[in-house]
Amino acid sequence: MTLALLPEAMLVGTAVISVLVALIRPGLRPDIHRWIACISLVGSLAACALVLLGLRHLDSGIAVSVLNGGFVVDSFALFVAILACVTALITCLISDSAVRMIPSRSSAFYALILVSTAAVEAVAAEREMTTLFVALAAVLICVVALGALVKTNPRGAVSSFEHLIEGSVGLGAVLYGLALFYGTTRSTNLAAMSAAVSAAPGAVAAATALVVLGLCGMLGVFPLRQWVGRVATNVPAGTAGFIIATSLIAGGAALARVTISGLGPEVDVWRWLVPIVAAVALGYASLSSLRETTVSRLIGQLVSAQAAMLLLGLLAFDTGSRGFPAYGSTAFLGSLGITAVAILASFGILAMLQVAGIGDSIDDMRGLAHRSAPAALLLTVSVGTLAGVPPLAGFLSRVLLISSAADTHYGWLAVVAIAATLLTVIAAVRLFATLYADAGDEVPFTLGATPLLSRVVASAACIAGIGLVVLIQPLLAVATAGAGTLR
Amino acid sequence: MNVILSTIIWSPLLFALIAVFLPERNEEERARVRTIALAGAGVSFFVTAFFAVLGQIGLGQGGGLASAYQENHTWFWNFLFQAHYDLVADGITLPLLVVVTTIFGCAMFHSWKVHERVRLYVILILLVETAVNGVLCSSDFVLFAMFWGLLIVPMYLLIRIWGGDGARRAAAWFAGFQTVSLGLIIATAAIIVVEAGTQTSDMGADLATFSNTAETVGFWLSFVAFAIAMAVFPVHNWMIEAQSKASAGVATILSGTMLLLGAYGMMRISLTVFPVPAHYYSFVITGLAVVGAFWGSIGALRQDELRRFIGYMNVAQMSLVLLAIGAQTSVALVGAILLLAGQGFGSAILTLVSGAIEERTRTTSIRAMGGLVTQAPRLAGFYLVAAASVIGIPLLAGFTGDLMVFTGSFPEHRIATVLVMASVIVTTGGLLWVANRVFFGPVRDQFARVRDVTLLDLTVLIPLVAAVVLFGVRAGAVVPVIANGVLEITSRITGA
Repeated sequence: MTLALLPEAMLVGTAVISVLVALIRPGLRPDIHRWIACISLVGSLAACALVLLGLRHLDSGIAVSVLNGGFVVDSFALFVAILACVTALITCLISDSAVRMIPSRSSAFYALILVSTAAVEAVAAEREMTTLFVALAAVLICVVALGALVKTNPRGAVSSFEHLIEGSVGLGAVLYGLALFYGTTRSTNLAAMSAAVSAAPGAVAAATALVVLGLCGMLGVFPLRQWVGRVATNVPAGTAGFIIATSLIAGGAALARVTISGLGPEVDVWRWLVPIVAAVALGYASLSSLRETTVSRLIGQLVSAQAAMLLLGLLAFDTGSRGFPAYGSTAFLGSLGITAVAILASFGILAMLQVAGIGDSIDDMRGLAHRSAPAALLLTVSVGTLAGVPPLAGFLSRVLLISSAADTHYGWLAVVAIAATLLTVIAAVRLFATLYADAGDEVPFTLGATPLLSRVVASAACIAGIGLVVLIQPLLAVATAGAGTLR
Repeated sequence: MNVILSTIIWSPLLFALIAVFLPERNEEERARVRTIALAGAGVSFFVTAFFAVLGQIGLGQGGGLASAYQENHTWFWNFLFQAHYDLVADGITLPLLVVVTTIFGCAMFHSWKVHERVRLYVILILLVETAVNGVLCSSDFVLFAMFWGLLIVPMYLLIRIWGGDGARRAAAWFAGFQTVSLGLIIATAAIIVVEAGTQTSDMGADLATFSNTAETVGFWLSFVAFAIAMAVFPVHNWMIEAQSKASAGVATILSGTMLLLGAYGMMRISLTVFPVPAHYYSFVITGLAVVGAFWGSIGALRQDELRRFIGYMNVAQMSLVLLAIGAQTSVALVGAILLLAGQGFGSAILTLVSGAIEERTRTTSIRAMGGLVTQAPRLAGFYLVAAASVIGIPLLAGFTGDLMVFTGSFPEHRIATVLVMASVIVTTGGLLWVANRVFFGPVRDQFARVRDVTLLDLTVLIPLVAAVVLFGVRAGAVVPVIANGVLEITSRITGA
């Protein structure tokens, strides 16, 4: 099953080739690099799908295990890998406007996308704490570099630097936590760690808190969540979507590995810390979303709220109140997929609006439905999906997460989550009112300035917010398979 | 393959999608948009009407309606619970579907009075119709919540964009209350799927395994959720605001269908899923009905604005339905469904007539009006027919409903029933007082050139009046159909 390592190898190899080609032929059209990246991502997706199909015949659900079980390609890793590849593919396909501004550095742009995607795939496969940290650091560096690469104003560079600092603080916390774990358990392997946690409860508690809070920062959840708003505002929209979605997938995958596969039910600390973090983050992000004045920051707050909502799924990883499986991990993975697509869709539409010369302020969106009905409709669906507006896929994902949490004695958290959902729905309705109810004086416009392919892909991502409601079962089936190997 | 219910639900959405691509640059194009939208509402209405006739035949042949009209496809199953695309139309759903599709058809005719942003207007109405039909037919909690949630944004925009002064606030109230209602419905659904232990969100599953606490909490959550939607005292203010500030067409939908959905949800979920606490706390429900009946009827008398008056009348009318829900007898519940039909049609006519009056007199003040019967006798006639139906005059839709609610409730809650009956006297007085102030008395000079109903008004109002008469005259044909649906509720209550 060496094929199992092919997805990562393919992405890193293509990134290197792309950079080499750019060095040899500096004047090459950006399109060439884009298509090279797309082909590589499709190849990686195909490899993941093939391995996943092969896994059907293996009871263990593990395709390959190397480094003494420290790097395991199982159905969970493959689910995350597929999600990361889809995210990267959508970004590549809608990246015209971002790349147009940096034609000479387009190879670096696509190389960073490919390497960060490979790093996310590695994060999902890691069961070894040291390499997990390295993979997370690789993701952070790649996405920060990507943000800095496409900057259009000085704020973009500052924002990337702030992202780096905040991410480093998070990763620093993770590193300290992992060091404490090692000191306590004499192992850096997640599986061995859970077996030896009873040694020093105080140190384990401190280590758990550091790791969980650090990874929550990667996920975009309170307290280290300021980077989401900064990236959303200062990085060109199409790229901002990738940075946020990739960090969310990497952070989510790492958190799932550490908490469910590593700490498990043996360590109580994370099972009371995560609900508190989730409740505070949900309350903070949903309340903040009500007072945002720019669309990008509003989307950022909605992402933070949805990321906090994902934590409910993590908590419900074992059996529920009636002795049946709670399927929290399934809800977590399914919702992670829906959220990633919704983030890309929202920022994709925002990118099209930026190209059309529409400002980022909610006031600038006044009467958008008058001026461009398709733009208003697509923005409605994508933001509605992120906010959990029924009957879109985001709402369904929240129903799944809330019911899982309620089934595992986190009823109070389910109540907080419902209240937070109502607030985010109201925040979204305020935006919709501006789009549809208010009549703007500005002249109508079309999205024609954005290339056709980008428009089609971004629109398809938006429509996925509706399509995934109907096709939720295939997503849940794959998510259930992925969740099966977490424990 | 049985797709009747899907057709009823999704045809408005399909036509809304068609309307999205139609231009609206001139009156001709706007008329085309309206026609397409009318076709969407029309398909839904005609399929429902056809279906209703078949339902009666099925009933006559001894076939159970629930089994005759059901669509069930598993939606997702790799989870804590199985969810289904499960649509059922039983004896309760069937008459209510007729009511709502008729009202939406009339609202769509009324769109010819809208001249600004017609495409968005009809699309939003068609979305609301999809949601309303979906709520009525859903037999799965997740599906029910999805359709319920679909109502909020389009209705909010309809109130805000086409409403008059103060519509922004009214829309915000509507969205706020309905969002809370949605949250409570989600919480109820979560309790049901988690606590019932059936691993399904199917409403038809055997859900009799709740703990006492879960059942009580579930009941109250669902009761408050639907009480908000039903505009029960003291959570009725959103409806008064929305009724008075929304445009006439939107207010018609609001009073004709939203309140009905609340009552339907209360019967379908609060009573059926939680029969024990529903029975135990029936005195609270009945108490709210008594207070609401007087609050609504006396509050109506204090109003000077015609539409606020109708809003308070709605509160009083829904209190009668609440009385029946508190009584929980077959007769009372059948009467409640009939009353909902009568209230839906009656309130729709009153709202449309008040809209027409406001359009002609340029005032909303009852005291400022007078003597309109001379210039607009047919308008006065429509008002009186609707008022008569609301009061409960024989041979009109409200009569049988009132009669059955009172006779069904009296054995269970005698004092409450008598008190609510007394409130009907106040309601009657209020409706007649308004009729007297608006239509009779000396003719005012400023209204000397007021026009009577136009052909468009007749097109909108005649179907509603026909429905009021039909439901009144042929109540005997409808009652067995409703009784068949109510049987499930009463059998659960009796079993509890």
